[in-house]
Amino acid sequence: MVEKFSPVGEKEVTRAIASEFVTQFLEYVESDCIIVGGGPSGLMAGRNLARAGKKVLIVERNNYIGGGFWIGGYLMNKVTIRHPAERVLDELGIPYKEVTPGLLVADGPHACSKLIASACDSGVKFANMTIFDDLVLKEDGRVAGVVINWTPISALPREITCVDPVALESTIVMDATGHDAQVVRKLEERGLIKTKGFGAMWVERSEDLVIEYTGEVHPGLIVIGMAVTTVYGLPRMGPTFGAMLLSGEVGAEIALEKLHERAKVK
Amino acid sequence: MRGQRLNKILLYNEGADQALNIEEIAEYLRKKLAKVGVEVRGDPFAFYLLQNKILDYARRIASIKIQEATRRMVFGQEPLYGEIEYEKRRILGKTRAFGILYDGLELQRIFWELIPGEERRLEFVHIFFTNRLFATWEESDKRYHARTSVYGMPSIISTTGVVEAPAKPREYYLLKQQYEMLRRDLLELKDAFKGRFIDYEDERLTEVMKGYAMQAVFYSVLGEPFCEDKGCRLYNAHWQEELIFAQLGSEYEFCPRHTKFLEDEEWALRR
Repeated sequence: MVEKFSPVGEKEVTRAIASEFVTQFLEYVESDCIIVGGGPSGLMAGRNLARAGKKVLIVERNNYIGGGFWIGGYLMNKVTIRHPAERVLDELGIPYKEVTPGLLVADGPHACSKLIASACDSGVKFANMTIFDDLVLKEDGRVAGVVINWTPISALPREITCVDPVALESTIVMDATGHDAQVVRKLEERGLIKTKGFGAMWVERSEDLVIEYTGEVHPGLIVIGMAVTTVYGLPRMGPTFGAMLLSGEVGAEIALEKLHERAKVK
Repeated sequence: MRGQRLNKILLYNEGADQALNIEEIAEYLRKKLAKVGVEVRGDPFAFYLLQNKILDYARRIASIKIQEATRRMVFGQEPLYGEIEYEKRRILGKTRAFGILYDGLELQRIFWELIPGEERRLEFVHIFFTNRLFATWEESDKRYHARTSVYGMPSIISTTGVVEAPAKPREYYLLKQQYEMLRRDLLELKDAFKGRFIDYEDERLTEVMKGYAMQAVFYSVLGEPFCEDKGCRLYNAHWQEELIFAQLGSEYEFCPRHTKFLEDEEWALRR
C-alpha cells in the first residue's frame, strides 16, 4: 500500500512557513549573542553558548550553513585538523584518521553536517540568506546588535532597489566572517578600531595564535576564527580547521564571561 | 679587535623552544671558558620585572610588531587591546605561543632594560634565548630579514629564528609554492625534507645553539661574532645546509684561529 500525503493546500503551506518564520524572527529580535558567519568557528561558538542556555542567532549570507568546512584544499572534500582539535571531532562523533602524527583527516560533508546538527540540537537559530549590513552601537560606544538585510538585495543595483535593512539587538556580537572580518571592518570605517590586515602564510604558527588572540576586540564585540588573523595582522591561516573549532570554543567561553558580567551590571 | 675582559655569562630563557636545554649550554660554555662564570637565570621577566611594569612592557612589546616585511615600521602606534593582552600572557608565562614577527633591535632594547644597572657592563655577556621571531631592516633591499640572532647587550638568540631564518633547500620552496596553491598541509612537505633543516622541538637544537652562544661570547670579547670558515661554529650560515654543517657536520668545532683563542684559558680575561 503506497503511503498518501496529507491533503494540504498551498495557502496552508505558505501560512506555516511565514508564521513559523515570523514567530522565530520576533523572538530573536533580541538575543544574548548574534554570531555573524556560519562557518566552523561560528557554529562551534553558537553550539557551546546554546548548550550553556544562551539565546543565539547565527547570521549567514549564504543559504547553506558551514562556510568552508564542507571542503578542504583544491575542492577536495577532505578536511584536515591538527592535534589537539580532534577532541572536538570526538565530542561531535565525527570519524577521522591520523595521516601523520598530529595531523588528522575527516570527511568534509560528514564533519560539517555533524557540526551543524549539533548546533541545531543545542538550540542555535539561523538567519540564512541574510547579510550583515552594519552594527548597532549604544551611546557608550558598546556594540549592541547588528543591522541586516536579505542577501539578494546586495546583488541588486542601488538605482533600481531601495530596501531598508532592519536591526536586531544582542548583548554580544561575534565576528566569525573569516578573513573579511566584516563586522570589525564596520568599526574601522567609523574610526573606532584599526585592523592590521593579515600577514604572510605561516600555517604552523597561525593556529596557536588564532586561539591566543580570540577575544573581545571592542566592548560587546568578540572576534573568532579566521577574522582574528585580519584584525591582528597574524599569519594567514592554511587549510586546517582545528583553530577555527577551538577559537569558537574560546569565543563562547569569553562570551559567557561577558554575559555574566553584563547580567551583574543590569 | 676590541679586547674586552669577561667576567660572567648569564643565560636567560624567554620562552625558548622546549627542546632547548640551557643547562647543557651553560655546561658547554664552562668547559670552553673555564675561568669565566656561567649562570642560568631562567625567565628574565620573572627574574627582574616588577609587577607594576607588566602592562607597560606588554604594550611596548606589542608595539614593535612588524606588519609588513617590505615596509619599514614606524613604531609608536598604539597596539590593540588583544595584542597587549597576548603580550601580558607571554610575560606572565601563561602562554608560549609564538608566530609574531618583531623588530630585533627594538626587542633587544626592551630586553636590555630588564638587566639590572650594575650588570649593564661589557664584562657581562647576557644571552637571551627566546622563541620570538625577530627581523632587522636591510636598507640595501628595503625589507626586513628574519634573524636567528642579534648580538650586543644583550645578545638575543631565537629558537624560532634558527628554523625560519636560514633558507631551507631550494626544492623545498618550489614544492611549498605548489602545496600552498593546492592548499595542501605543509606538515606533509616538512616530513619529506625531515632532517635537512632544523625544525621545532628538534633534538639537535641544543647542540646547534651552543655555537650561537659562542658567537655571542666572541662578539662580546672580540667585537666580531662570525668566522669565514664554513666548518667553524662561528660561521654565519644563511642556509640550513650550511648551519647543519657548521654546527653538527664539520670535522672540527672551531677553525684553527678561533681554536687558538679557546686553548688559551686566559684569553677571555685579558684586556
